[in-house]
Amino acid sequence: MSPENPFVPYLATVKNVVTLTPDIKLLGLELDDPTVRDNFSYKAGQFAVLSAFGVGEAPFCLASVSHPKGELEFAVRRIGTVTSSLQELEPEAAVGVRGPFGNCFPLDDNKGQNIFIIGGGIGMAPLRPVINTILRNRDDYGHLLIINGARTPQDLVFQAEFDIWASSPRTQLELTVDRGHDGWKGRVALVPAVIAELNPSPENTVAITCGPPIMIRFTLQELRKLGFQDNQIITTLEMKMKCGLGKCARCNVGDMYVCKDGPVFTCEQISKFIEQF
Amino acid sequence: MTQTISRRNLLSWLGRLLEERLLIAPTHTTGPILFQPVSKIEDIVLDFDNTALSAKEWFFPATETLFWAETTDGRTELVPATVEREAVVFGIRPCDAKGLALVDKAFLAEPADTLYQQHRDKAVLVGLSCRKASPQCFCTSMGTAPNDPTHVDILLTEVEEDYIVQIVTEKGKALLPDNLLLESKVVPPPPPSPPVVSAEGIEEVMRQAFDSPYWSRLADRCVHCNLCAYVCPTCYCFDIRDYESKGKIERVRSWESCQSPGFTRQAGGYNPRASKGARLRQRFYHKLLYFPEDFGAIACAGCGRCVQVCPVNIDIREVIADIQTIGGRNVP
Repeated sequence: MSPENPFVPYLATVKNVVTLTPDIKLLGLELDDPTVRDNFSYKAGQFAVLSAFGVGEAPFCLASVSHPKGELEFAVRRIGTVTSSLQELEPEAAVGVRGPFGNCFPLDDNKGQNIFIIGGGIGMAPLRPVINTILRNRDDYGHLLIINGARTPQDLVFQAEFDIWASSPRTQLELTVDRGHDGWKGRVALVPAVIAELNPSPENTVAITCGPPIMIRFTLQELRKLGFQDNQIITTLEMKMKCGLGKCARCNVGDMYVCKDGPVFTCEQISKFIEQF
Repeated sequence: MTQTISRRNLLSWLGRLLEERLLIAPTHTTGPILFQPVSKIEDIVLDFDNTALSAKEWFFPATETLFWAETTDGRTELVPATVEREAVVFGIRPCDAKGLALVDKAFLAEPADTLYQQHRDKAVLVGLSCRKASPQCFCTSMGTAPNDPTHVDILLTEVEEDYIVQIVTEKGKALLPDNLLLESKVVPPPPPSPPVVSAEGIEEVMRQAFDSPYWSRLADRCVHCNLCAYVCPTCYCFDIRDYESKGKIERVRSWESCQSPGFTRQAGGYNPRASKGARLRQRFYHKLLYFPEDFGAIACAGCGRCVQVCPVNIDIREVIADIQTIGGRNVP
């Protein structure tokens, strides 16, 4: 973002494009200006607005862990015009980046706690840097339980990292799909049913969940049944966004702007919003 | 003592300003009275109730380029838009100046919208007090008045053939030479007094009325034409889009309205505010509750344009009065 105009993005170059699922690609970007690159630090949960020049802008969570030498990674699901054209980009193509925007998961406050991660589909994208931050600082956190759900086995994102996650100390990875196929030996169950089956204790535990609205709704019900209090459940709100600066008012809910006051909220905070979705 | 300027001196001053700066004033060269860049002084309308649109569009245009992206030999360069020209906005009514002050609260809060900031910094506001209130006016209920100098740099109030001059800011003082002014004993005329709508305590009753069926009933007749937002001096929601023609790309922002179904519709089709009732409610809640919670003032200047243009007679004054009555009761 240029200091003269916060609507002007930083220029970046596509370095890597990895196909994660039939409709999701992971874009690895490098900011062109070395000074900007050195200063672009962010936390898990924050997002950036990507430009496909000539097509438009859309917000995406940062799927990587902040590192001065690291690429900025974004998991992009093909769903509209901007995401389609971002997916078509080849390495060395120019893109725009504005950000980082928004608040982050309160991982610093969760030190010493067990972490229970529940992600569905592309909802795993903001949770990936949460998992990787915990694994890089493994001694700071208790047990890590991850439920990763998707529609079908081929829709599970970040499969290349499953072995690393599952073999990390005090870490349990549970995969589930809505519909299996012949070669699938894993679970076929909806995410809330898996929560009930695993029955994790809410004691000294924080639950972090991201996924489609319908999954979130039944996940919250299940977590509450297990005794999780609303201040122990953290999620992200999805609203249409344009500016990322709290100006355009597209993501306004009550006196909040999801782009600057969120996107991360506890269920306790959300339950106090005047407008409920 | 009061300072005045004669109509003749006023016009000759405007003539001089026209040579030095962009002069934007009410004109009827395009039909309805609108703020337009003036090319000759005779086009300026001095006798009018209010302009069809507020002067907001000269600070926050209906469509405005944010930057251009140019690609040459595989290298992309971004050229940000800037505001170069000094401007005078002449003839703005106190309500519309208050509207700008309200948009300032949102756009100039950190991180500031620098393009809007440049438009504001480069322009001097010369206000004109209202001689009469139109049927739709309710400015005094929204914390301003027909002769309120608070949000302009200079305020002129017509008395017979002259104008009483109130220099409000340093910017205004620098614009108007002293030698054009006369000392006078003329007494300012009493300002018109538009009917009052009591918005006292509106935030508390809005908090109670959120789940009332009132909103969906009111919205039954809404045709989501968005006119209320487009004529509003305080509505500031916008969209951002790219346009490409002949290899040249521009990123443009344009007015958007919370009444349009696409306002909150996400890629993939999910729309958290899918019903007209929820959208109309958002309009009134943003103005009467959320903006006051965030910025300490109702997002309305009482100009009444939305009342005037609504094709189905949705009237914010009636909404305020209705909500005051409904309060926490769950019946309209």
